Amino acid sequence: MGKVITMKEAIARHVNDGDFIFIGGYICRTPFAAIHEIIRQAKKGLTITRSNAADDFDMMIGAGVVRRFIGTFLSLGLYGLGRCYRRSIEKGVPFKIEVEEYSNLSLPMMLMAGAMGMPFVPVRDMVGSDLLNVKSFMGDDKYKIIESPFDGRPILLVPALHPDVAIIHVQQADELGNAQIWGIGGDCKAGANSAKKVIVSCERIVSRDTIGKDPSRTIVPDFKVVAVVEEPFGSHPGYAPGFYDVDFAFGALYQKASDTVEGFEDFLGEWVLDIEDRSAYIQHYIHRFGYSSFKALQAEFDYGYPVSYAY
Amino acid sequence: MHKHPDDYIKPELMACCGAREIKDGDVVIVGTGFPTMSANIAKYTHAPGATLMQESGVYDASPKRPALSVGDPCLNPGAAMVGGLLDVMGMFLQAGWVDVGFLSGSQVDKFGNINTTVIGDYQSPKSRLPGSGGANPIGSLAKRTLIIALHNKMRLAEHVDFITTPGYIEGADAREKCGMSPGTGPQVIITNKGVLRFHKETGEAYLASYHPDTSIDEIVGLTPWELEVADDVHETEPPREEELRVMRDVLDPLRMIKIYENKGYV
Repeated sequence: MGKVITMKEAIARHVNDGDFIFIGGYICRTPFAAIHEIIRQAKKGLTITRSNAADDFDMMIGAGVVRRFIGTFLSLGLYGLGRCYRRSIEKGVPFKIEVEEYSNLSLPMMLMAGAMGMPFVPVRDMVGSDLLNVKSFMGDDKYKIIESPFDGRPILLVPALHPDVAIIHVQQADELGNAQIWGIGGDCKAGANSAKKVIVSCERIVSRDTIGKDPSRTIVPDFKVVAVVEEPFGSHPGYAPGFYDVDFAFGALYQKASDTVEGFEDFLGEWVLDIEDRSAYIQHYIHRFGYSSFKALQAEFDYGYPVSYAY
Repeated sequence: MHKHPDDYIKPELMACCGAREIKDGDVVIVGTGFPTMSANIAKYTHAPGATLMQESGVYDASPKRPALSVGDPCLNPGAAMVGGLLDVMGMFLQAGWVDVGFLSGSQVDKFGNINTTVIGDYQSPKSRLPGSGGANPIGSLAKRTLIIALHNKMRLAEHVDFITTPGYIEGADAREKCGMSPGTGPQVIITNKGVLRFHKETGEAYLASYHPDTSIDEIVGLTPWELEVADDVHETEPPREEELRVMRDVLDPLRMIKIYENKGYV
């Protein structure tokens, strides 16, 4: 059976209730199409992770699909604190999620350790802070401090992470899943490779020959990939370099909507639950804001000098 | 002598205070807003060899609009390098290549500890804030950190509710005892009222200079601990003509820095 399937099939087949999921993105290449599908399928009890989470994680928390969050940061950036995240932690709405707190150095290193088959990794941050004084569901396995066997000095160790599945959005992939990105990477490569399997969402499916014209851009090899989903505009309201810009106006819309539970539920209904798939989402966007708004987000082309791998 | 035009706004003065802490050749890790402005002012004036990076993986960006986040699309085209968190936070910061980091927070205390995690009790907080993100590693591993803060009794504290990012923790030698490199730590707290520096022996912040429209008494009154005042305390040098020209003509022609006035930086 081929790996190229719809998002509906990919999420139904490869994301189970209670799974531990790495979700790539850093405003850059957020896999929003997949996130909406997870919410539509009302997955339960997920553990989610990534460094620097934003509106996507906030939305999943508000929608009640998340039980645990291994995180470093969650905010709406320009638009302030994550409303659903705050309601969950401060008021238990819809319920209080459990949070294990790390930093933007430690968490990527833990994902790297997972990707590399290392059991743990030493890091040089977090000491002297209260991040070491709070432990949640990982308990004493959140970290260890040992005397280095090399110089006898204390050193902090953090464990490798092994997500059940990673979901990433990339610019292009071939039909078997060789996935290529350009632009800000965040922890996408380490996170994807730390997981037991990878769902690749992409702006376009290209031929294996096209991948081979610039193979240094590949961050995940096909043998780790279980599904390839072509989802143009799949990161909106985030962006994909070379394809479309961040939608700042939509960010403001989400902030305003998520200020209240009712507003958030209306938003979820309009943009997620009552929408069939990503192409219906694009149609709804154009219907709601006009084709000119959609067009205004599209990137202009500014090609660089083509690389040559010839010898 | 430098000329000092008097039509500047407070955020411009604060950006200049940040710029003056940067030396030629410094490798600087920035976020958005003030830090980027400060680092670029330095680059265009006394520190042409300073270079900037963002934690998201970007080195030496040349954005065509002010970046609104460290993941902003405008940081990609024209950068010298675009990698990921492991490159900047691991290969550059943890490996000891970063000279200066900028930090800000919802709460900053007298030891330069910063809280961006919770207001109130951690288990049942009054406000859940974003968390560390890159702040803790920057505060732990950059050689010098520059802190931007609003000067009032809400934002400054004798002790923060939660140490997300360590300053001098509870005294000058506490960082080293935890295993951090000697000589690192916060260098300055730049507020909308003045500039605070840190005692070498105690790790406590003291008033080094007061901004032109305020007074030592006002600042001491706005500080929630017994603020010591330096023997050589003086008025902060206002923005120089050259610094204002760089800000207004080159870096921020739309004067987006004015939004900081709405955030209380007046």
